[in-house]
Amino acid sequence: MKRKKQSVQSIKTVFTKSQDYKRICYENKITKLTFTLTFLTTVTDEKIVRDHILPFLLENEWTKLEDVKSILPIEDLQLTDDTSQIEKKLLNGFVMLTLEKEQQYCFISAKKENIRNITVPEVEFSVIGPKEAFVESLSENLNLIRKRLQVKELIVEQLEVGTLSKTNIVLLYLDGITNEANINTMRQRIKDLEVDHIADSSYIVQMISDNQNSPFPQFLDTERPDRVAATLSEGKVVLLVDGSPHAIIGPVTIVEFFSAFEDYFLNWILASFFRLIRFFAVAFSVLVTPIYVATLTYHYELIPQDLIGILVTSRRAVPFPPIIEALFLELTIELLREAGARLPTKVGQTIGIVGGIVIGTASVEAGLTSNVLLIFVALAALASFTTPVYRIGNTIRLLRFPFLLVGDIWGLIGISLCFSFLLTHMIRLTSLGRPYLEPIYPPRLQDFKDAFIRLPFYKQSKRPNQLRTKKASRFDRKNVIKKVKKDIDE
Amino acid sequence: MNRGVVMNKPIPEQKKVAPFMLFYIVASIQIGVGILSFQRDLVKVTGYDGWISIIINGIGTIILIWMIVQMTTTIEGDLLDIVSFSLGKWISKLIGLFYMLYFSLFSITVLRNYVEMIQVWMFPKLPIFWFSLVILLLVLYVVYGGFRTVAGISFFSFFLPMYIFPLFLFTVPHADFTNLLPIFDHSVKELFFGSYQMSLSILGFESILFVYPFLKEPKKAIKWAYLAIIFTISIYLYLALLSFSYFSEAQLVKNHWPTLTMWKIIRLPFVERFEYIGIATWCLIVLPNICISLWIASRLAKQIFFIRQKQALLFISGIVLIVTSMIMKRSQVLFVSQLLGKIGFFANYCFIPILYFITMFAKKVKKQ
Amino acid sequence: MKQIQLITLLFFFLLLSGCVEREILDEIILMEGIGFDYVEGGDITGTILYPDYKKETEPENVTYSATGEIMKTILQDIERQAARPIAFGSLEIVIFDLELAKKRGILDLIDAFQRDPAIGSGIYLAISENKAKELFKGEYGLRGNARFISMLIDHNIRHEDLPKTNLQRFMGDFYQQGKTPYLPLIKQNSKTKIELSGVALLKYGKIVDVVSNEQSFFFKLLADKYSNGLHRVEVDGKEAAVQSIISTNRFELTSRDPLHITVHIKIGGTINEFTGNKLTDSFIKKIEKKFEKEIQKHCTQLIKRFQEKEIDPIGFGHFVKSKTRNFDFNQWWDSEYSQMEVTIKPVVTIDEEGIIE
Repeated sequence: MKRKKQSVQSIKTVFTKSQDYKRICYENKITKLTFTLTFLTTVTDEKIVRDHILPFLLENEWTKLEDVKSILPIEDLQLTDDTSQIEKKLLNGFVMLTLEKEQQYCFISAKKENIRNITVPEVEFSVIGPKEAFVESLSENLNLIRKRLQVKELIVEQLEVGTLSKTNIVLLYLDGITNEANINTMRQRIKDLEVDHIADSSYIVQMISDNQNSPFPQFLDTERPDRVAATLSEGKVVLLVDGSPHAIIGPVTIVEFFSAFEDYFLNWILASFFRLIRFFAVAFSVLVTPIYVATLTYHYELIPQDLIGILVTSRRAVPFPPIIEALFLELTIELLREAGARLPTKVGQTIGIVGGIVIGTASVEAGLTSNVLLIFVALAALASFTTPVYRIGNTIRLLRFPFLLVGDIWGLIGISLCFSFLLTHMIRLTSLGRPYLEPIYPPRLQDFKDAFIRLPFYKQSKRPNQLRTKKASRFDRKNVIKKVKKDIDE
Repeated sequence: MNRGVVMNKPIPEQKKVAPFMLFYIVASIQIGVGILSFQRDLVKVTGYDGWISIIINGIGTIILIWMIVQMTTTIEGDLLDIVSFSLGKWISKLIGLFYMLYFSLFSITVLRNYVEMIQVWMFPKLPIFWFSLVILLLVLYVVYGGFRTVAGISFFSFFLPMYIFPLFLFTVPHADFTNLLPIFDHSVKELFFGSYQMSLSILGFESILFVYPFLKEPKKAIKWAYLAIIFTISIYLYLALLSFSYFSEAQLVKNHWPTLTMWKIIRLPFVERFEYIGIATWCLIVLPNICISLWIASRLAKQIFFIRQKQALLFISGIVLIVTSMIMKRSQVLFVSQLLGKIGFFANYCFIPILYFITMFAKKVKKQ
Repeated sequence: MKQIQLITLLFFFLLLSGCVEREILDEIILMEGIGFDYVEGGDITGTILYPDYKKETEPENVTYSATGEIMKTILQDIERQAARPIAFGSLEIVIFDLELAKKRGILDLIDAFQRDPAIGSGIYLAISENKAKELFKGEYGLRGNARFISMLIDHNIRHEDLPKTNLQRFMGDFYQQGKTPYLPLIKQNSKTKIELSGVALLKYGKIVDVVSNEQSFFFKLLADKYSNGLHRVEVDGKEAAVQSIISTNRFELTSRDPLHITVHIKIGGTINEFTGNKLTDSFIKKIEKKFEKEIQKHCTQLIKRFQEKEIDPIGFGHFVKSKTRNFDFNQWWDSEYSQMEVTIKPVVTIDEEGIIE
């Protein structure tokens, strides 16, 4: 009794400073039993307390806390005498029911949940295919995934991170398919996290990356439950973070960042073509301005005779060396992008168009930049938007600048050296300990079926080699296509 | 077996590479700066029968690879294990030291020749020190990533510059293949001397002796070593035949960089002159040369002096940087290249056969 | 963090001291043509030609000239007149004046073009009947004079009677002991017109002989292959134009003692113009026969001429060398070449006659 009083007292002293702390005494109408409800109004749903808890407690006949279980229409009910839990439960949106004479506490779940409606994916929008995107609620997100993978092998492991935020993190994988080592690495990395507050899954992505000093994203994050389900069945590990509409997928390879999920909704020939275009676009986007700078600064010999006239006349009026010109334009584009991202959609679009056209033409006419470079920079910016994953797009934005600078110092040799550095960096990178450049290096021919091109589904009967899954084959290919040997006229 | 002479911790499985990577490693270390100028020295000796010398050299090299493979598979270890098995611990250290210096010199030669090439063809004022520093930093970054990264770089240096080789066909419209006739216009002695000249260009295959412990299922890797030799020999043969028919003999003898000069005729719709792109791409071909040789040198230093490979690497690269920037004149570059060629010839074509026979003898004696 | 600091530090050092010389496109003079003229007394006048690009109009042809003894002193003098450094990388055409090529020789001038890594192997060398300085001062076309001359030569190689030539081929032929080089010969007709006037044949860098336009068809048959040529044949007072000529030649060493070489020339083509009434099969046969005869006559004449002048632009020496071990070139040039017998065996086939009979 004394102990209980003490702990309740301590809670009271902790919480009385908070406005939302409520402690109310009631009396049962039949047994005249007095009971106390303690809760925080901001995290509990008053409607539940008013409609589903109080009427039952006031009007039904009960004497012990034990009885409450049978009279309340709420399934999440816990009886405990562990005083250490009080604080946490109250903060979690539980209503604490206490009786004067009893040692135990009864926690009744009355969580207030504001769930945003499930909306259309905005970052990974696709014309064809499902239109559902994750929301901020963990249970809702889990529901979206479970709905798509109705098997008992889908394991949902709960972990908690953050000394202050107490964020729930859920580790998802398919038992019997996903490689144990991958699951263990992921679990261990989450457990090893030392952090006070998590606002979003992006925090987790950065903190569990293999190399945190790399500009490359080492985990894929997606807002599409269909993509999560697909990657789960491929044998990958998925993390869901409470309060974040983005799931984290690992291990991944660099090529996956260039594959849109829409690729799987299209015919394989089209999908492969678009993928190749994307790779080309990225190479173009990173290299075109550096090559322009290098060629114009050092290697005029390279330029075809017919092009020289165009380049010379366009640059004649420009008072700066190519590097300044290029940096000026690239930074302008970056500014436009940043401004567009921070402004509301409609204003942002206007800024983009106005900025692009007005600044572009004006700077050419003023003679600050050449119009040939303007075309290149605009095309490069356009090309960098073709990446289907937002994160890699940012990386590509950044990569251009070191290339530009070395292109100015040592021309093509500098670009080649910078490329070698980048290549080495990518060879050294891993995602959950698996090589990042796979299937290019280490070369695994088998995994090329879904890398630069996407082969038809009947060719995709094996799970990616890189994941080292426990069950390599996804389905029996022989049953899928029964090759009937027919002659032409049969 | 005489194990444990050197610090022989077994190499962890995740540091090893697949057997077929041996192909890329051997092929990439053999194709370096030598391929840009080998025709000249060859033609000086054998005239336009030089291609026969290349084939002779290829056959000789394949025999050497066979000996290397025999030794590594019977002893199941790298060069130091083999030497300490047949000649004893102290000699193995001496030989290791010799190879360490040899591979350091190898990287100096490659690096300095590449700098020379850039200075002559692109940037006459390129500072040797700064450029070597940047390349060596890159090499450090690669080698710090472990053998897998080194192998990765040689893999990419095989594939990415591949597009260059078909471009040599641009010379065919201006080529006269009757230049090669008459065949056997030179004596056998000259042909063999030519194949000695050739051996200077294709140094590097002895790296098999050092990377052997880093291969998964090394027995499967053997055929890839042979294939790599066949590949490099055919590349050399291809370039030799094209340049022999493109240049007339007296013209070729005057030219320091026949392979590069051949690029001058290439004219693509979007690129007027190819050699600048070619030289820049060559950076990727040169990189694994230096990476592999410095990796071997630093690993040997670790095995001989019982120091950490990282420290050994830092030390050796520092020395390479200093020596490279001290070589100023073209004549000095040539001297270093020739020195390396002579040492390399001794190390490969004399020492390895001797070692082979000693090892086989020692094995017989120990069996009895 | 330490690493990042080191890298930034290094980067700044590189920016400061690692820099190499810049050649920014619009801050250099992109020399496209260079010409050399003979001056009484043994000096040479060098003229460089570059296009000054203008917005929306054709480039203006700018020339600078200087006189000196070797190319480098000339260039130095020219640099003194120029506001921007002169770059060699986009050189397209090198012109030698006929007088220079006759009196002084062009060899020592070519050496520089071969040695400079910035100069491509595909540039054209040509000999001009006028002074190069005057030639460069004309106005020949939309893309600048140098470009015009190089396109003129290129076009004539592809579609007309000029055998393949460029710097690499010239040097290759020069160094080939059994061959002598040739260069195109051009002539300025007026301020706005130039034409190809023949093929100049050189020995040791000096012009020895010139193949005129009338004979250059036969010269190309011997020295190169045709992929698209045209020739007129006259039979019984009627003229027929044989077009789309594809030709190959093959040399055969028929006998060593005395030296006898047979040249097989195979020609395929179509008739696209005929002044007669009707083109019958038998008449086509006649044309073929006449064509063969003409080839035989002119080619034999040409070769006789080459033998007399001791030049070998066709490469008989190289051919015999490729058939002989331990070939002795001194003996070849001393006696064997002039005594060599050559038989021409042409085969002409006309497969098409156009869309009318």
